[in-house]
Amino acid sequence: MLTPPRPEIMEALTAVFREVLDEPALTLREDTTADDVASWDSLNHIDLIVAVERKFKVKFTTREIASLRNVGELATLIQQKPAAQH
Amino acid sequence: MTFTSVQFLVFTSATLVLYRFCPLRFRAALLLVASYLFYWTWSPLAAAGMAAATLLAFLAGKSVQGEDSPHRAKITATVVICLLTAYLAFFKIAAVLPRFGRLALPLGLSYYTFKLMSYVMDIYWGKIERQRDLFAFAAYVAFFPQIVAGPIQRPGQFMDQLPPKKTAISMGVPRIAWGLAKKVLIAGNLAAAIAYVFGNAGSLHTVEALAALYLFPLYMYVDFSALTDIAIGVALLFGIESPENFNRPFTASSISDYWRRWHMSLTTWLADYVFTPLRMATRSAGKAGLAFSITVNMVAIGLWHGVAWGYLVFGLIHAAALIADSFTVRWRTRLFNANPRLDAWGKLFGVLITFHVVGVALVFFRAPSVMEALALLRHIFLFSGSVNAELAHLFAMAGARAFLAGLVGLAVMELVERYRPDRWWARLEVALPWWLRRLAATTGTVLMLAGIFILLVRAEREATPFLYQIF
Repeated sequence: MLTPPRPEIMEALTAVFREVLDEPALTLREDTTADDVASWDSLNHIDLIVAVERKFKVKFTTREIASLRNVGELATLIQQKPAAQH
Repeated sequence: MTFTSVQFLVFTSATLVLYRFCPLRFRAALLLVASYLFYWTWSPLAAAGMAAATLLAFLAGKSVQGEDSPHRAKITATVVICLLTAYLAFFKIAAVLPRFGRLALPLGLSYYTFKLMSYVMDIYWGKIERQRDLFAFAAYVAFFPQIVAGPIQRPGQFMDQLPPKKTAISMGVPRIAWGLAKKVLIAGNLAAAIAYVFGNAGSLHTVEALAALYLFPLYMYVDFSALTDIAIGVALLFGIESPENFNRPFTASSISDYWRRWHMSLTTWLADYVFTPLRMATRSAGKAGLAFSITVNMVAIGLWHGVAWGYLVFGLIHAAALIADSFTVRWRTRLFNANPRLDAWGKLFGVLITFHVVGVALVFFRAPSVMEALALLRHIFLFSGSVNAELAHLFAMAGARAFLAGLVGLAVMELVERYRPDRWWARLEVALPWWLRRLAATTGTVLMLAGIFILLVRAEREATPFLYQIF
């Protein structure tokens, strides 16, 4: 399967974040960080990552996750994953 | 040389004068020399140990970044992290083993080894570039305002500020004065009460045991945040901004909220380098993985303070509370969203429960042994029947005048940290004519320096060490 286009990735990420953080009104931007979302903390950070992995059928490494600075970088990381993984 | 000594005031002032006249490119080197001089006064041998560990991490950073094979980079990073952990663990264990003659813990060991580990990990994770200047890197590790008890600053955050172009004396002096006032006027006055209740954990009255439970968290906050205030203030004198360590922790309405407000530079460090990697490794195990990662993380926080059963129980109590918190958070959020009228009650109830969990855990943290901690908690329920007699006994043992002064001081501190008169002043100041502003600033600084001197003289006479200086 081909990598989905960027707006679709952001849309799917928003849906995943809304579900995991239980915030139906949450909106994500490329530059959103954990500091911008009160309910997003280190305790549920990996729950988000696991949900994203399931949604896009990809696997991340700790090194990849640790170097992420915002949601946009997560979207880029998903795009960079080998197409076969999607 | 402790932070609360006239000697430290002279040392800092002399370094600052040199710093003001020092060309920018030599400022990091000057900080390095001053920091090692400061460390040398504690122990020359420990200074050599810190230098060796610094060199190891510096070379590891170079090797990890220069490595083409990710596999070999991983091996190098892992080996160096293991070596640094072993170095830290050796001293922590040797400190309690009679076989090693209860070896004294090198000053700031727990803080600078964490700085070194985060440097290696951040390079491995690609978050920062390796440092090319060994002396600037060594200055970061040994930076004397942060060496005694943190805050644990991340390498990137510190390095980005080098060379500091501006000193921030007008911000640093009030912060130092505030820290000293908290230490001397509040913690100093309450020290006798705390020493008495924990020194006699097995033979307390109900009121005294309750005082231990309720007062010690506040005492610990005053003492540790005072040390942090002084550290942040002194760093500001040299133009370095440090991360904050506290954000009014006892307003926390849940235990996870508490850990976002207490010793923040340590908890975010552990969240990044211990909890998150563990969580990633156990993510396929669902809730069990979460519970396991929380337990390891909180036991690590406990044992970071030292190898003792009390610290282990402290970590386990927090682990249990955090697991309960994270397992029920979704349910609680839904409950309060559906019933907005319950929200305020839920918050109040949350603050009370959180404070009690923290208080009970701290009894194990502070009591000389787990058995004495249990005895102290049991005494809460053995009421003699006379509040007056029990209170009179506590006041007599704690030094009535000092104890009262300490309690009043706690109330004043809470009001100041809640309403922040310094922020009002900053807003008001802008409206003043320039000459009045300058006059007020100069008078304020002179008064605060005089206050600092008076407090230091008193602190030297009383000589109650900071709790967090020993970690």
